[in-house]
Amino acid sequence: MSALEIKHLFGLRGVSKHDIRLILDHAKQFREILERPVKKVPSLRGMTVVNLFFENSTRTRTSFELAEKRLSADTVNFASSNSSVKKGETLVDTLRNIEAMKIDIVVVRHKGTGVPKFLADNSKAIIVNAGDGAHEHPTQALLDMLTIEEKLGTLEGKNVTIIGDIRHSRVARSNLWGMSTMGAHVTLCGPSTLVPRNTDLMDHVTWEPDVKKAVANADAIIALRLQKERMDDALLPSMREYRNTFGITDELLECAKDKVIIMHPGPINRGVELDSDIADGEHSVILDQVTNGVAVRMAVLFLLAGGRNNENA
Amino acid sequence: MKMRKPCKGRLVNVVLKNAKFWNGKSFELEREVRLDACANAETVEFDCNGALVMPALFGLGLDFMEPLRDDVYTFDDGFEALRKGGFYGGLYESAANPIDDADKFTAMVNRFKSEERGESAFDIKFLGAYSKGFGTDSLAEMIELAEAGVAGFGDGNGAIPHSRFLRLAMEYGKMTGKRFFFQPMDKTLRHSGCVHEGAYSDMLGMKGIPRIAETIAAYTVLETARFLQVPVHFKQVTCGETLELVRNARRQGMDVTCDVGLYHLLLDDSSLEKLDSAYHILPPIRSADDCEALWQGLADGTVNAISMNHTPVLRQDTVVNFEDSVPGALSLEVALPAIWNKLVAKVGEARAIELLSIAPARLAGADSAHDNVVVFAPDRPHVVVEGDFAGHVCNSPLMNMRLPSSILASYINGAWTVL
Repeated sequence: MSALEIKHLFGLRGVSKHDIRLILDHAKQFREILERPVKKVPSLRGMTVVNLFFENSTRTRTSFELAEKRLSADTVNFASSNSSVKKGETLVDTLRNIEAMKIDIVVVRHKGTGVPKFLADNSKAIIVNAGDGAHEHPTQALLDMLTIEEKLGTLEGKNVTIIGDIRHSRVARSNLWGMSTMGAHVTLCGPSTLVPRNTDLMDHVTWEPDVKKAVANADAIIALRLQKERMDDALLPSMREYRNTFGITDELLECAKDKVIIMHPGPINRGVELDSDIADGEHSVILDQVTNGVAVRMAVLFLLAGGRNNENA
Repeated sequence: MKMRKPCKGRLVNVVLKNAKFWNGKSFELEREVRLDACANAETVEFDCNGALVMPALFGLGLDFMEPLRDDVYTFDDGFEALRKGGFYGGLYESAANPIDDADKFTAMVNRFKSEERGESAFDIKFLGAYSKGFGTDSLAEMIELAEAGVAGFGDGNGAIPHSRFLRLAMEYGKMTGKRFFFQPMDKTLRHSGCVHEGAYSDMLGMKGIPRIAETIAAYTVLETARFLQVPVHFKQVTCGETLELVRNARRQGMDVTCDVGLYHLLLDDSSLEKLDSAYHILPPIRSADDCEALWQGLADGTVNAISMNHTPVLRQDTVVNFEDSVPGALSLEVALPAIWNKLVAKVGEARAIELLSIAPARLAGADSAHDNVVVFAPDRPHVVVEGDFAGHVCNSPLMNMRLPSSILASYINGAWTVL
């Protein structure tokens, strides 16, 4: 139980229980470190991490950057809005130029499915996926899993319900792969225009169109952010109807277990997918998720870098 | 970048020895057959060692993409691809440079003429555009185009136009007696999709193109064609539902033909898991069930021909992530070795030759292969490498794959090419 089987983190589909367990266990240790007065450890001293974000991001990039700094890595932030990408440079050229500056790890977010794997195929750096299109967002799922274990003791046998825009959600995909691997049962629920039509390859999850039934046995509910663009694209009639049908409200929680925990990957649309008093209420563990995000990202970077160091030795 | 190794072929008479020749019904071993280019040409002998000698192929769906980047892929490269793949001709339709008047047609024909002989070394037929610039504002001068010699009228593989323009184009074009060629695709249902909408696209979070984007477009075309009594052809059909529409239309007496693409027969959407832009092909590669339905369509006669959909893509447009890549694949050089054995196993030798040579030529209004032949070893495996492809491109999902068969040589319009 000392090294990851994976060399990069592209997603959680196909990642073994061993690897997920290892990441979560290390994240718990880093979580403790984050509570200390001095939150920094020297694990990645001398290593350089580039945060290569081709999409806007505040919390994920900040979380990664904090994780990197607390592991004592040198960090560089690269945003496409002020980069050579705007001048027509290709993705590969961008990566190779950055790589030529002798970096070790690239954390990448991009609108295109498979970009992290594409970069790994074309470089020697360790690649960590910080979100690729609607494909995967593995560190978000790992922090969700860490939070559930922290609050409920284990993932094994737990019922997790994800509500919202499943079709366009990389968070939902990573969660359903990761949580299924760890023994949780995942139920997906959302309006029919926002859920995938073809579930043949996701047969270990349950689809429940009735939101009340979907939450009835849930130990944890994850509400996904509803993007305003979905209304413009005629996928939904109005935020009001969405809130009344699929929003997490006091009325809906009356159908759920007393000790259900409410999660959200952020940022929240208060009054749409989640009512304000619930986001701030006793069931909410949303801020714990944020804290756990740093710990999980520290664990991922630490273990992937450790794997590479062992390989070089 | 790979080194260019041109294989121009030279005008010779050939004596093919120890080959199994296609006699129209089966392959028959002959000790020696002579094929003459012209009386005073040099004669070469070639020992085929029991290989097959079959009619050269005719390629539907040719687009050499010139003049996009003539330092990367030219007409000469396209000709080289035809020779290497054993094709004696093809149906050409330029997406970037629509042939929408007779002058453009003449200019395009001249581009294909051989410098040596002043005539095309290949039997190339051309699709004219039914509208100016493949747009929906103005009709192309279809009567003059027909008189100039276009094989039919096409859409440049764009989505079908709005219904009124479609009706007007077919109504006007009916005067020419030519067939209309459509790649059935409803652009609003395609939206921003780039792959088949199915289990893999949903699993991978990729934007999908549903089957109904094809079937609704095909139905619109068929209803318009039925109303106007115009012959139509569907290019690169991807699913069984469209083939069913074709069957129904034929049962009602309509003149409808269709082809399926090479890669739609060889691949299914499980290849998306590789997240490799080499598999980015439009119309999209669909599911294994769709693939099976296309093979069934070949076997029962619904499908008239196999299309090559030969599309060079600049290297810099393929060395990117899947969704940002330019769709398209080369096929001429690898088509026969990739599909022959499976095709023969499914439909037999005669139907295979019909699908690859006779029927495509008939659809384009071209002559049959005559003495144009390809020498082919069905049991000699070949690993696909960059050098197999003409030009400075190699965008093929078959790259580095081991194909079961090999092309040994081609004899096209008197030009002998040994590979």
